[in-house]
Amino acid sequence: MPSSTHHVVLGNGIAGNHAASVIREREPDSRITIVSAGALLFYNRYDLPNVFRGRQHWVDYLVHPPEYYESRNITLRRKTQVTELDTRTQTLSLAHRETLHYDKLLIATGGHAYIPERLLDYTKLMLGFHNFIVAMQAQKSVRKGGTVIMLGGDVMGIDLARTVIATGHRVILVLDSRTFWPHEVTPSERVKYLQALTNMGVEVQDSGRVERIEMISGTGSARRVFLENGEHIRGDVVMPFYGLVPTVDFLATSGIDMERGILVNPQLQTVRDNIWAAGDVCQIWSAKHNAYRFFYGYRNVKAMGEVAAHNMTGKKATFTSTVSEELVINRDGTLYSPYWEYD
Amino acid sequence: MGNERVRREYLSEDEDLSQQQYFGERVVTTVRFSTDPRDIGWVRENVPCQAACPADTNIPGYIRTIVEGRYGRSYELNRIANILPGVLGRICSRPCEPVCRHGWPGNGKPVSICHLKRSAATLKTESHRISEHLYTPTGRRVAIVGGGPAGLAAAHDLSILGHSVTIYEREVRAGGMLRYGIPQFRLPRDILDIEVQNATRMGVTVQTGVTVGNGEGEVPLSDLRSQFDAVLLATGCMAAMPLPLRDQDTDQDLVAQLPNAEYGLDFLLDLHRGKTKTVGQRVAVVGAGFTALDCARVARRLGAETVSIHIRTSENYIPVMDEEILEAKREGIPIRGLRTPVALQIDDNGVGTGICFVQNRLGGWRASGRREAIPIPGSEFTEPFDTLLVAVGQRTVNDYLDVPVELDRWGNIHIGEDDMSSVKGLFATGDFVSGASTVIEAIGHGRETAVKLDNWLMGRVRQHKVVRIEPVDKPVRERQFDFIERQDMPTAAVSDRFDQMSTEVEQGLDADHSLEEAKRCYLCYLKYEIDVDNCIYCRACIEVAPRDCIKLVEGVAINDDGTYGELEETGVWRDAAAIWIDNDECIRCGACYTVCPTRCISITKNEIITQDI
Repeated sequence: MPSSTHHVVLGNGIAGNHAASVIREREPDSRITIVSAGALLFYNRYDLPNVFRGRQHWVDYLVHPPEYYESRNITLRRKTQVTELDTRTQTLSLAHRETLHYDKLLIATGGHAYIPERLLDYTKLMLGFHNFIVAMQAQKSVRKGGTVIMLGGDVMGIDLARTVIATGHRVILVLDSRTFWPHEVTPSERVKYLQALTNMGVEVQDSGRVERIEMISGTGSARRVFLENGEHIRGDVVMPFYGLVPTVDFLATSGIDMERGILVNPQLQTVRDNIWAAGDVCQIWSAKHNAYRFFYGYRNVKAMGEVAAHNMTGKKATFTSTVSEELVINRDGTLYSPYWEYD
Repeated sequence: MGNERVRREYLSEDEDLSQQQYFGERVVTTVRFSTDPRDIGWVRENVPCQAACPADTNIPGYIRTIVEGRYGRSYELNRIANILPGVLGRICSRPCEPVCRHGWPGNGKPVSICHLKRSAATLKTESHRISEHLYTPTGRRVAIVGGGPAGLAAAHDLSILGHSVTIYEREVRAGGMLRYGIPQFRLPRDILDIEVQNATRMGVTVQTGVTVGNGEGEVPLSDLRSQFDAVLLATGCMAAMPLPLRDQDTDQDLVAQLPNAEYGLDFLLDLHRGKTKTVGQRVAVVGAGFTALDCARVARRLGAETVSIHIRTSENYIPVMDEEILEAKREGIPIRGLRTPVALQIDDNGVGTGICFVQNRLGGWRASGRREAIPIPGSEFTEPFDTLLVAVGQRTVNDYLDVPVELDRWGNIHIGEDDMSSVKGLFATGDFVSGASTVIEAIGHGRETAVKLDNWLMGRVRQHKVVRIEPVDKPVRERQFDFIERQDMPTAAVSDRFDQMSTEVEQGLDADHSLEEAKRCYLCYLKYEIDVDNCIYCRACIEVAPRDCIKLVEGVAINDDGTYGELEETGVWRDAAAIWIDNDECIRCGACYTVCPTRCISITKNEIITQDI
């Protein structure tokens, strides 16, 4: 492998950073660039609920010290939006009209919050929890003892609900078919798990889906959520937790195979020889399931970063998930998801 | 250049040249018309949207006139190519947009060409007068079987060319799939009515409720042949393709046998003929085209609780616009990919309860340009349904042909280069020839056939295409237009859509948003050229160029057809034979034109038009 190989990693999350780290270990002289749409250095998103506990300085969330990238000779390009990938010329188009050439590319752009298309008109009336800045906004929007209305209730939302309740706030959860996402639960399991949520202090609202959301004037972020049965509930903030959707918009004309995410083989390679994908953005062929599947959770995503890095540097590695996909009810009757585990 | 009429003059400031284009001391030419293959080839290669349009619409032309606020002219420029701009501005499959240069890598998103077509139709004045250039009556009579888009387009053009045209339409109103296939929430019928009337008011007789065929009360095709100088078949693809399933005999059709399953095409035809249609709580739709999406969205409006669309590949590879997919999803209709139906579950009462799929993986590309799906053995699963709608394709029906005419191996009528069948005077066009295609393809083919039929009737070619080359006095596009985002189409709130089938979902761009969107167009029909004889190689144009659009070249390859090919670029000044503007890269910003000290850069507008011979 020539030392001038330029590895470009799209995404500044767990998969991307771990891959960059492994590539550096295996190829001390190659060129590595991480392209990040966000402004911050790599931080631990799993820790974000702690903004409700008062940990409100971004430095507290950093995984590596700021000098890490320089010491590893990794270029981190922040606030850089990739708009297109041209696999023929091996170039990425950036939003500010620059192009970036790669020799090997890892797409680890992750996912962003899925908003059901029927609710897209209300996107601006909701607040996500997908990055530090928005998490801080959410925390500031909730009064002491105030109410968070959670829509959907995927495992990231339930994780946040634990902290929000523990810090003295109310959580009203409006159920949806995607509650507990990405866990797939049977109707009988769902009843048990909903009881567990109640045991955790979550106020479960099962009166139908959200029909519309209205702003309460003069109240900042306070909202009124109308349900299909005509009822409405009021909260300081409305937060959507309907699961993730892979961030692949910039690949529309790339010729890379996609279904919902990027389709890759167990070596995490796309249909292009020099392009891999890892993390929440990819659907991996699973011989066990006879299907392309997403594999979520910190450990899966980190493992994918490692597998991709090995394959990008000439070693043959295959991804195998080691994370349980079962929701667990603890002895105290509360709920536990293996997807909450991280190092 | 061969037959062009070119005048080159150096003008001074005080000359009165009001009849000519006057630009100080620039080298100018008057408007000229060219049949030189290099000029025609230039337009075909450099105006990709127009080249992709089956009707050959002058897209930069109609978008530029929107910027000028000339909506009526914009509508007419559309109508020259396509008789139904208001209709196509809503439901066109938009083959132009994927090739738009604004959508090329690094340039952003393509221009909303289709939405602007609608804007022209909507924003023109109420008193707008349509233009028709009528030929002298020829005394020839033409019968057209089928009043869909291809038949209407051919009827319009043939009537303009002076022939007496009669359309035979089996339904009670003309419009074909536009009226009986496409739901009103995508295509309001008042828009269709007006444009169909405009297409036929030049003397076309429309006989509706008349079936051409061999049954009782029907008009035999052979009678039409004896009564008319020519007959044009434009009956489209009006039968559904059966769903191939295992455990199903070749002559068996399980879908047709189930009381709660139906072919999507028949479902939509019945609905639009006025039949009352009902669906169950859970509706499964199988298919990946517009018909499948329309069926699913109609089912939601008929009260289905859950509707899902099942496709063999993934939504990235289905021949439907992204906006249609998004609107279906907003209406709560998920698209489930990578699955092929293999069997139906039927209960003891003969009612379908579920559809079995096999999981697919993506394969290569088929010759048709569609993606292959490869079934994975042993990966079957079942989806329950109360109503199943199948929309996996459409086919032609030709049992009404009572003349011995040659068919191809798919059973479609075989036509020659002149669009005439093996029977003299019997022509065919549109989907009846090509198989199921799009409305704009049908219109484009209908118009082409009209010209060929006219050639045959008159015994000579009466029209040809030329390039109209008009000097432009200054750059008309600004650099900052590049940074305008594509304007989103406003839509009706989801909660307001389901009360009435006729509530139009897309609301249309208003004048302000249309203007912003129109500004984005690169106006690829504008040709920037450097007059090498007057260029002093000062590099000023290269230095101000915002992109790599001005190049040093040693030469230019000439293609076999006489058109220009690849540029032979050089980085060495002493090797440069010329400085050349690369129209692939040029964004028509005019920076080079403005800075040139010797005014050796010219701008011309190049449009393909039809001229009498």
